Amino acid sequence: MKWILLVAELLTVGSALIVAINPNILYSAVFLLFSFLGVAVMYLFAGADFLAGVQVVVYVGGVTILILFAIMLTQWLYRLKLKDIGSKFVVPGVVLALGLVPFLHRGLTELGKMVQAAPPEKMAEFAGSPKTALIGKALLTNYLLPFEAITILLLGALVGAVWLARPKA
Amino acid sequence: MPANSALFAQSLTQWTQGTWFASVPIWVWALVSALLVIYMLALPFGGIATYVERKIAADIQDRIGPNRVGPLGIFQFAADAIKMISKEDYVPPGGDRFLFNIAPVLVVVGSCAGFVALPLAQYLVAGDINIGVFYIMAITTIIAPGILLGSWASENKWSLLGGLRSAAQIVSYEIPVALSILPVILISGSLQMGEIVKQQGWQSGHFWNVFHNPFTLIAFFILFVGGLAETNRIPFDLPEAESELVSGFNTEFSGMRFGLYALGEFVDVFVMCALVTTLFLGGWQLPFVELDKFMITLPSGLIALIQVGFFLGKTFVMVFVVMWLRWTLPRLRVDQLMGLCWKGMVPIALFNILGTAIWMWAFKGQSMLQVALGLFSGGGSSH
Repeated sequence: MKWILLVAELLTVGSALIVAINPNILYSAVFLLFSFLGVAVMYLFAGADFLAGVQVVVYVGGVTILILFAIMLTQWLYRLKLKDIGSKFVVPGVVLALGLVPFLHRGLTELGKMVQAAPPEKMAEFAGSPKTALIGKALLTNYLLPFEAITILLLGALVGAVWLARPKA
Repeated sequence: MPANSALFAQSLTQWTQGTWFASVPIWVWALVSALLVIYMLALPFGGIATYVERKIAADIQDRIGPNRVGPLGIFQFAADAIKMISKEDYVPPGGDRFLFNIAPVLVVVGSCAGFVALPLAQYLVAGDINIGVFYIMAITTIIAPGILLGSWASENKWSLLGGLRSAAQIVSYEIPVALSILPVILISGSLQMGEIVKQQGWQSGHFWNVFHNPFTLIAFFILFVGGLAETNRIPFDLPEAESELVSGFNTEFSGMRFGLYALGEFVDVFVMCALVTTLFLGGWQLPFVELDKFMITLPSGLIALIQVGFFLGKTFVMVFVVMWLRWTLPRLRVDQLMGLCWKGMVPIALFNILGTAIWMWAFKGQSMLQVALGLFSGGGSSH
């Protein structure tokens, strides 16, 4: 099963490379979508099931569409060819990106190996259990203040968006 | 409590012990079951739904519909498929070939991937994951970038307008859909599809979730209408309207690319209707009967068949209503559509969540039926 993780990592890193290097801005946005999907799979391998779902809903279904709208509705943006990276940075960039993959792989599989080898009393059961209830409980007990602060932030963003999009009388 | 798919894995392991099947790793079985569900259920449904829609349209419009290809025209969808596959591979000049190819694929992948979490019967779920409901909602959001990229790659102003409207519509209506799923999660306490259906049985005291309290009744309608908007069906089909935008975002797509768009749309309709059925109409539950504790012990294959039959029956009734609405209602203008979502459905959906939470607290989680029976029988009915 570990090869699925490797494929997801290569998809994420490869798509991110294409986002950075591709001169066509719309292709960059599309490969960002694939990068987000790869990250969602990596979340699954780290045991964060709910977070993987949230990643897809928020990033793939929200941020990608936002970026695509911004590109499509900006005048002549599509005609820009992004060539401001000199070619001398491409090769070190690729090497660095691909060199990230073994660290990522090791990090994501190490916890699983530790749990399998010597499970602390409830760790094995915890690792496979649904995390949604735990996240909910934590948000409403230990992390209540950050939760409420985030709601105020989101409210500010909503009000700002409505004000920015007001009909100019 | 082990997930139903873990039980399936255990029973498979026991069943195949001693044969050469036992050495097949479990992920192969998972892959096979997912592919079976997609190729035997999702895609055939998508194909046959095109024929069924045309026949229903014909019936409502007092004409006959396809009746030449096979008895009652039943092979029309196969003829359509063959025609579409044999068409010219045309990309509009100046259009972006890569995006043109990838857009219908995203739509079909997004819809078909939702099938693996649908509970067809008590022990027949291709993937009964912990976050089942949330997974379906998440994976069907891949459809929106597909439509948007397809409309851009067509190099056509009207397609772009249709695609932008469709993406805005899908993203907006996700909010009432998600908010309407929440009352059901409040009642069931779990995001797992199998769990949610199991708790809608007769023995546990609840009946279907739609009759649990008046707020879930309203949430049922909000979810259904939101599902119509998510799949670009009438009355929300301005993105692909014939009279306004030629054919909207799928104008320039011909042949099997268009076929994939249409297939993806019908499969998405099925996923939305199956979601409504699972969450509100009791999924595979038979009314008044629990097949596990029936009078005689039935073979498990027969139980599974009956349950699948009920699930598909309920889903097909919802799909019929979707198709029926197509030929009954006029379409909404885009500002009316967005106004309906943000000014109408979001407040109602929020009110539903609040109402359900208050109901759950006041009546300790009992449904309307249990409360009514409790009142009549004098003592409190136990949950």
